[in-house]
Amino acid sequence: MRNLYLWMIALLLTAPFLVVLGVSVGASKNISFPPEAFSAMWYQQLLTETEWLAAIGRSLLIAVIAGLISTVVALAINYVLWRTKSGFAKMTFALGLGPFMLPPIILALGASLFWAEVGWYGRMEATIISHGVFFVTLPLVIIARGFAALTDDVIEAAQMMGATPAAVFRTVVFPLIAPYVFTGFALVAIISVNEYLIANMISGFVVETLPIKIFNNVRYGYSPVVAAASMLFVGLTVTILLILSRVTDLVALFGTSKDT
Amino acid sequence: MMATPAYGPRLIGGLAFGVMAVFFVVPLIFMIVVSFYQPDPMGFYKVDFVWENYAKFFSSFYYTVSFRSLYSSVLGAVLVVALAFPLVLFVSDLSRKWQLFWIIMLLSLMCLSEVIIGFAWLILMSESAGMPRLLGWLGLWNDPRSLSPSFGAMMIGLVFLGFSIVSLILYPSVSRRDRSIEEAAVTLGTPPALVFFKVLLPTFRVSLLSVTLTMFVYLLGVFVMPTMLGRPKDWTMTVIISDKALGDANLPLGAALAVVMLIVTMLVLVLAAVLTRGRRT
Repeated sequence: MRNLYLWMIALLLTAPFLVVLGVSVGASKNISFPPEAFSAMWYQQLLTETEWLAAIGRSLLIAVIAGLISTVVALAINYVLWRTKSGFAKMTFALGLGPFMLPPIILALGASLFWAEVGWYGRMEATIISHGVFFVTLPLVIIARGFAALTDDVIEAAQMMGATPAAVFRTVVFPLIAPYVFTGFALVAIISVNEYLIANMISGFVVETLPIKIFNNVRYGYSPVVAAASMLFVGLTVTILLILSRVTDLVALFGTSKDT
Repeated sequence: MMATPAYGPRLIGGLAFGVMAVFFVVPLIFMIVVSFYQPDPMGFYKVDFVWENYAKFFSSFYYTVSFRSLYSSVLGAVLVVALAFPLVLFVSDLSRKWQLFWIIMLLSLMCLSEVIIGFAWLILMSESAGMPRLLGWLGLWNDPRSLSPSFGAMMIGLVFLGFSIVSLILYPSVSRRDRSIEEAAVTLGTPPALVFFKVLLPTFRVSLLSVTLTMFVYLLGVFVMPTMLGRPKDWTMTVIISDKALGDANLPLGAALAVVMLIVTMLVLVLAAVLTRGRRT
């Protein structure tokens, strides 16, 4: 009964992607499944057509810089909270949790009006900054776990040896929280690559990212290239998460801590 | 750690706060301001102070849309939690290796674009590639036809989208639960179904309620599923807002509708906070 349920859910969660995979390797010009003949032509088209390549490049660029912004802000908030425990730091932390709790459409519309007023409407920088700020919640919570796991004695030892706060951070604190920081960065980067609504409302008509391109393609008649692009996404996302699972203990991060 | 906070942390803290305030809070405040402006068909808007945009909300069209949004989000949230809670319970008892497998799968799905999930279901429910074709081939459906766009297709999309998020939110508390009562009940010969309803559901009542509210707020703001998998008559407030902002270029009206949604969200979040507080005392 337990295993039946687990298998059923696993099947339901993967079935759509198995079908997309089938379509993407099919030779047929129309969307059809199961494929009658196999072909790599849709992947070839995806990776040679400049329009698709440009969208992939833009998406990756936005993701990496947005990831950096998010991680730096999340690290700063956590560091200050850990150093000072002040009310101001707690308030900043709470502010960082905000974007996750609001429906994305509200963030998207607010950002789009804001950037229009600033004069950056339709610019890639606007999308990058908004992604970086709106996705801060995840690294914030993850890095907080890293700081919570720090034990005071290591830091006190370093301080007694005469290390300045900056030196303590660089030589003791950062190496210990680095896996959490990296996890936070990677998650923001993946979410940013995949995000549609905010990117579309801020600069979608100029800066066509991969999700926007896929969405527009689906809306106005689509070919199996979209399936190939989707599989590229699935592959990329799963690969990064598999790499992450080597770097950080994901089970401990999302579930039980080992000691309890 | 330090008795007197140095200059450095204050500067860093101030900068981080500044970034969040300027790029997160200011846009929301500006959106509220714009909701009182006059729409300008030629450009964006005219600076003004009118209640007109809010007055438009109180019309039968927006009542219908609001009701539909609330209805599909509530239904979706309840379904997601009802499906995800047993899964998380089961997964938390698996071996570490399989737990990691599920976490990677759920994380992948959480990160994966709405657009791709919507597209995948679109294909899975299409006449030429998906379930209708399979059912037709099996002889279970004489006249296979595309299952989307429809209300059901949209709901499947919403549930699928929320499933990974709810599972990952519930996972820490479920996997850390005190298993002694369940074990005692099982040892005494209580059937598993009864353990679920008499022990596990009451223990997690508050977290389940709070995660349902979180999911409700999340589903309220989903854009892609209604547009890709739903019919125009299934479109939720999110689609209408984006339509007003991008399509009709009536930004003040879009902003007013978003502010109404913001108020509903705030009320739900306050309700969730009150519920969780009740548990601690």
